[in-house]
Amino acid sequence: MHPDEELHLETLMARYQEGDSAAAAELIEQASPRLHRFFAAQFGSRFEADDLLQETWLRIHRVRHTYRASEPVLPWLYAIARHIRVDHYRKTVRTVAGEQRLEADAKNVVTMPEAGRSEGLAALLTPLSEGERDVVQMLKVDGMSLEEVARATSSTVGSVKQKAHRAYKKLRVVLGARLGGRS
Amino acid sequence: MRDDEIDGILRDAGGADSGPGSGPGPEVLARITASVQTSLRPVRPLPPGWVLTGGLVLIAAAIAIAGAARVGFSGIEKMNAWERVFIFAALCVFAVLSASEFVHAMIPGRLRRVSSGALLGVATAVLLGVFALSFREYQTDHFFSAGIACLITGLEHAVPIALLGWLLLRRGFAVNPISAGGVAGTLAGLGGLAVLELQCPNFQAAHVLVWHMAVVPLSAAAGALVAWVARAVRK
Repeated sequence: MHPDEELHLETLMARYQEGDSAAAAELIEQASPRLHRFFAAQFGSRFEADDLLQETWLRIHRVRHTYRASEPVLPWLYAIARHIRVDHYRKTVRTVAGEQRLEADAKNVVTMPEAGRSEGLAALLTPLSEGERDVVQMLKVDGMSLEEVARATSSTVGSVKQKAHRAYKKLRVVLGARLGGRS
Repeated sequence: MRDDEIDGILRDAGGADSGPGSGPGPEVLARITASVQTSLRPVRPLPPGWVLTGGLVLIAAAIAIAGAARVGFSGIEKMNAWERVFIFAALCVFAVLSASEFVHAMIPGRLRRVSSGALLGVATAVLLGVFALSFREYQTDHFFSAGIACLITGLEHAVPIALLGWLLLRRGFAVNPISAGGVAGTLAGLGGLAVLELQCPNFQAAHVLVWHMAVVPLSAAAGALVAWVARAVRK
């Protein structure tokens, strides 16, 4: 992410904490596409991503006092978005049919193309575990730094590097096989 | 396949997903903006991290000293100067580290220097080493009766440290409550262990290494368990 863009988000966030309604609207407009893409790449469903985005902003609104001025905004937003996604998984488990069923569904969701589902990034990230998917998406698609990803995932920089390494190992095998199959 | 080729494929896929027609629709953004703006008022941000860390360490130290003062400081009085420095310096270092990590766990987007499990593991290993070097009485008298009494005393003091710590950080938001509970329990357990080192004159190595040290992992496990139960109940 460009430093000026990050600085702008920090300013908007500080003004949002002060109760500036225009800043809140601009922050929502600027940050929502990234958060939406984060959910869409995980679930593959645009409608689910819309719901989770709304839930995320409600939570962000409730805990906006936990943002510290001059700290990067994106990791703070992503940390809350990840929390919402985990909660969503758990709720789905309860309403559907137990944890094992959910894991199977979560895997299938991105492999079965349906109307309204985004196939690009979601399909590419299918072979990865949830944590690896988060790391690859934030690092390579959203352009966040290792430290920002560590902040967003509440983990250490070392753990982020390890997950990225494992993810690339898997992607190399899968993409290599796919390209080999084509040729 | 090279890493830069994978980077390119991922970037292309991400770019395709952020093209026209993707992302939240204007009606979704309008709904979110309206719901945020209806309850928008200024909020007071959390105090700086060092203030919260200092507060947590003060709580742990105050309860440890107050708890030991009730029955006397027999433990620290019996130690020689080196043992005092060695043991309490190690306890202070890990109390500051776990307090800082507890604060980081309660603020989304803060950089974690160490995971809750690694902190507990390192603290336990280092303190076991410090105690093994400091206490060299190898006979064991009343191993279970004396040990269980010390374990209960340590855990009894860990509870108020954890409760007051939670009270101090109640405005925070734990994105990973189980990890936050674990690190809070570690801090509380270190406080409970400090009480025992201040007051317990039983310097038998087995007693200290087993029963005193057990306070820290048990307290951490209890913290994580309470967080897990609280989350389940809230849902």
